[in-house]
Amino acid sequence: MQKQRAYIILILALVAAAIAILTTIPPQLGLDLRGGAQLTIQVNPTKEQPDVKPTAEDIEAVQRVLENRINEFGVSETTVQTIGEDKILIQLPGESKPEEAERRLKGTAKLEFKQQKKGTEGDFIAESQVNRQLKAQRAFLSQNELDKEEKIKLAEITESLQKSNKAIALLFESVGLTGTNLADARPQPDQTGNRWEVAINFDDAGGKKFAELTKSLAGTGRSIGIFLDDDLISSPVVGPEFADTGIAGGRAVITGNFDLEGAKDLGIQIKGGSLPFPVAIVENRTVGATLGQDSIRRSIIAASVGLVLVLIFMVAYYRLPGLIADGALIVYALLTMACYAIVGVTLTLPGIAGFILSIGMAVDANVLIFERTREELRAGKTLYRSVESGFFRAFSSILDSNVTTAIACLALLWLGSGLVKGFAVTLLIGVLVSMFTAVTCSRTLMLLVVLSLPKVRQKPELFCPNLNVSNQSRQAG
Amino acid sequence: MNFSITSKRNLWWGISGAAIAVSVIMMIVSFTSLNAPIRPGIDFIGGTRIQIARDCTVPGNCDQPIDTAQVQEVLNTQDLGNGSIQLLGENKQILSVRTENLDGDRRSELLTSLGTTIGKFDDKTVQIDSVGPTIGEELFVSGILALLVAFFGIIVYLSIRFQFDYALFAIAALFHDVVITAGVFSLLGLVMGIEADSLFLVSLLTIIGFSVNDTVVIYDRIRENIAANPELEINTVIDNAVNQTLGRSINTTLTTLLPLIGIFLFGGQTLKFFALALIIGFLLGAYSSICIASTLLAWWRNSKGSNSLAVADTPASE
Repeated sequence: MQKQRAYIILILALVAAAIAILTTIPPQLGLDLRGGAQLTIQVNPTKEQPDVKPTAEDIEAVQRVLENRINEFGVSETTVQTIGEDKILIQLPGESKPEEAERRLKGTAKLEFKQQKKGTEGDFIAESQVNRQLKAQRAFLSQNELDKEEKIKLAEITESLQKSNKAIALLFESVGLTGTNLADARPQPDQTGNRWEVAINFDDAGGKKFAELTKSLAGTGRSIGIFLDDDLISSPVVGPEFADTGIAGGRAVITGNFDLEGAKDLGIQIKGGSLPFPVAIVENRTVGATLGQDSIRRSIIAASVGLVLVLIFMVAYYRLPGLIADGALIVYALLTMACYAIVGVTLTLPGIAGFILSIGMAVDANVLIFERTREELRAGKTLYRSVESGFFRAFSSILDSNVTTAIACLALLWLGSGLVKGFAVTLLIGVLVSMFTAVTCSRTLMLLVVLSLPKVRQKPELFCPNLNVSNQSRQAG
Repeated sequence: MNFSITSKRNLWWGISGAAIAVSVIMMIVSFTSLNAPIRPGIDFIGGTRIQIARDCTVPGNCDQPIDTAQVQEVLNTQDLGNGSIQLLGENKQILSVRTENLDGDRRSELLTSLGTTIGKFDDKTVQIDSVGPTIGEELFVSGILALLVAFFGIIVYLSIRFQFDYALFAIAALFHDVVITAGVFSLLGLVMGIEADSLFLVSLLTIIGFSVNDTVVIYDRIRENIAANPELEINTVIDNAVNQTLGRSINTTLTTLLPLIGIFLFGGQTLKFFALALIIGFLLGAYSSICIASTLLAWWRNSKGSNSLAVADTPASE
């Protein structure tokens, strides 16, 4: 009894924790349920060198370029991540017309060093202040899920930002110095050692152009405009000491109030802009918001119908133990969903199917145990002993059958693609939790009922209808 | 109810053999007409599928079902004449079009001209799946690889927990389930145009994981019974084991099928045929565990001289 009490307290504590988790952490829904567009982008080798595959560093730089392009687009909560060796996955929640995004995302990055036009100093200061503010507002808004008003506001900001970017671009003129002339850009500590700066290297032709550019700008207070996909990402000025020769030798540093992160980010953007790798959209999965909600509604109906049918079947067939198993099953469902929340599983449609399927499998452990208990009862054992040996003997089967399912899940997790992984994760967590609840929860509840209710002990037929004790079973032993 | 599974083994083998033969024929027919054993979806061969529903808040927009002839005309003008058209939903207000892989520009062109011919569409009900041909190939290869890895993993696990011949017959039963399920979908692909997508491969893997459960439970019982009564003839041992676990096999299959039937009936378009594949596979899994895996093992042990082997058969746990 002591042991059972401890188990009961453990189970109650877990259930309480699960409910607390479920009420505090909202479930993460995949784009197929909440609506949105998911684009897979492949970074291809260049036409000139089809055998040179982009390195991990290159992919990181390309990813940063794509992030810039996506930010321009004005959708909140976007995610950009690398998958596999040469692919980048972009998620645009709430986007049901991805055509515009696709147009912006594809193509090679365009980096250009431009010269600020004469007589634009005042305009530039004013416009870049506006630009900075808009960017800050956009970054702030894009973090969270937005209501309708905020969405309209974000769209407005995005529009004025595009205008502002165009206005800024008009203040600069091209000198023919582009990303193709850039050899490298990386962060390095500055001379004081407290701050960071970005070192850039040009090739020979680029070095000459850069020297000319810096010569004409040195000491004028006008800036070099570094544009990535027509968006100004940095505007350094050149000191008067370079007025005679310009910055020669193809090497320069951009100083500023950079910490490591800031310098790294600018370096990656400049590097990314210079990379020649073309990107192509190879997969697009878009689901409209209404359709997603419809899927959620349907899944909830399917899950509820399935769960209720299973609960009814268990009571109808197994009587009292069926009722206990139903209790264990509800505990199972709560714990599993809490696990999803803790592990941070993103629920997709196949994921929900995995969960619903795991309900059926969770019952299996109970069925194995009860069938075994019935056999032991038929063999003439007392109720308590039948329950105990039912659990004991069924365990080997429960373990084997769950391990084989887990093997299939792991194969899917290892080799499967996004959708498939969602299914494997939920099913695998379900299988693991079901082992736990079958062995602790069902068993504790059963023993508790058997041990603490003497009336139940006198009625083994509650566990096995038509039990005829005098008719000893055919397989004693 | 105590019935002898081993004495009717020719019946079971006949049924299963015929089913496998029909399945293989289906796949060959499918291969000759569609160039693939099961009609492949865009997940595997690439392409674009667009599903859109009319906006019924616009007065008069949804009075008539969508006219496929008009849609076909739109496709023809865009050089997409060999695309396929399907109407879904009540009163046929949902249009699903499948074409070669289209990029964003061509897609938006298609959507715009569909919108003007068919009536205004509701953006929020759109579903677009566009898969490039190389990705399709990658999805297919990784799916098949996952299938093989799962087969191999299960053989290794069962060989450790039981013996190699147990593992081999469990896999034979699995193979039986997978081939017949694939055969059924091959037929559905030929007759109803149902396509195999990534989820179909997932369903095959799940069938493998689940079907072997049943087999393992029966094998577990066979092993236990052999250890308890080493003098019994192997056919009797296996018959007993099957009968002892029969209630469990039926009930577990039932409790797993109930939620799946829920998904099949109420779960919506995406999951409908996924659930159907699982239902077919799980039924086959229960059948093959009870009738095929057990009788194969009985036949094998008999032909090898069961008694000596059976005595040597000690359980790994208990």
